[in-house]
Amino acid sequence: MSEATPRITAQYLEQFSHQNVRILGKVRQLRGEQATIDAGGQISVYLNRDAHLQLNHAVEIIGKVQNDLSVKVMASTDFGPEGQIGQSLFLLDAKGLRAVLTRWIDFAAVEAVVDATHRYHEIFYDKE
Amino acid sequence: MDYGYTTSYTAAGHSDGGGFLPNSQNPDSGGGAKRKFGTDTLRPVTIKQLVAAHHPSPDAEHFIIDSAEATQVTFVGQIRNISTQTTNVTYKLDDGTGIIEVKMWKDNDAPDEGRTGGLVEQGYARVWGRLKAFANKRHVGAQIIRPVADLNEVQYHLLEATAVHLHFSRGPLESMQAKGGAGAANGANGADGTDGGYAGNSAATTIPANLSLRAKKVLHCIQNAVQTQEGLHVEQIAAQTSMDFGEVQKAGDELQNNGLIYTTVDDLTWALLDV
Repeated sequence: MSEATPRITAQYLEQFSHQNVRILGKVRQLRGEQATIDAGGQISVYLNRDAHLQLNHAVEIIGKVQNDLSVKVMASTDFGPEGQIGQSLFLLDAKGLRAVLTRWIDFAAVEAVVDATHRYHEIFYDKE
Repeated sequence: MDYGYTTSYTAAGHSDGGGFLPNSQNPDSGGGAKRKFGTDTLRPVTIKQLVAAHHPSPDAEHFIIDSAEATQVTFVGQIRNISTQTTNVTYKLDDGTGIIEVKMWKDNDAPDEGRTGGLVEQGYARVWGRLKAFANKRHVGAQIIRPVADLNEVQYHLLEATAVHLHFSRGPLESMQAKGGAGAANGANGADGTDGGYAGNSAATTIPANLSLRAKKVLHCIQNAVQTQEGLHVEQIAAQTSMDFGEVQKAGDELQNNGLIYTTVDDLTWALLDV
């Protein structure tokens, strides 16, 4: 079995059913063990006990695409709060008010990576 | 290129160091050869490329990726496991394309804190190092490994690795070809870090130079669309390129005559002939 977890968005779910994938999206809804993530469309995910998703945060999940195109989460990584590119985050600390480096996830780049992953899959995953 | 062989039978004839000649050496002669730093390259890669890289001989210090030599490599991955041993720290890195072990040798004279601080399991890290084969297993001997603070770097790296892969597998970007010469090929390692979408354009070798601007525009639009069986309809192309319907049709005729696109469900829906 391949160790690859191809990066996908909602439109690729069907193509990758029963496979392990990686999805970087925005957390839109949390309902106990279930959550909705926006990654080029809504995706229903079922969480494991270790997953700590935060509303309106970017999150990367690794999971298996189920029959009904929901995703069973095996691991999740918080990618920080959602924000606008170019917007600064202002922090108040001992030195006073200062702008810190913006670290919002640029979702245009995320989309470009998903596109490159499938367009040039030879360096990302083996097609069956 | 000067490979610094102790024997001269392969080095003869190309000592000027000017061109980029991936096949200019005999791959079987790697054994025992000492390589100079001057021939080193630093290449952004995916872990899948490292796992699949061709090793010309068991003793060779370099690997072949996309028929180009690779010595030093750099990549970004998620740390799955950290194990501290007496002589080194081994990190298991996963970038979504594969998994590889990265070994960082311990330096007893320098405190580890500065070199390995901030690295945690499940966190992302950037590695610079050299691919090595040891007892049929591959690992990367790291010079530097540091935590990724801005997670946009993950995306940036994958796009850069794609651009460099396309550079080596399909040839330099059109503009780089215009400047001409092998000098561009060497410099392009970092220079063509364009985004992955636009990198579709780097299939420059297949685009005839005499193509009109409108045809290039339409081709670019089709290349950058999500690749489906049906392709794109003329109206979609017209909307996306803000071109006139008739102009798009003329461009389409030109592209079809050049064998770059073909009609799918009807005469006005086109897909790339060679994805």
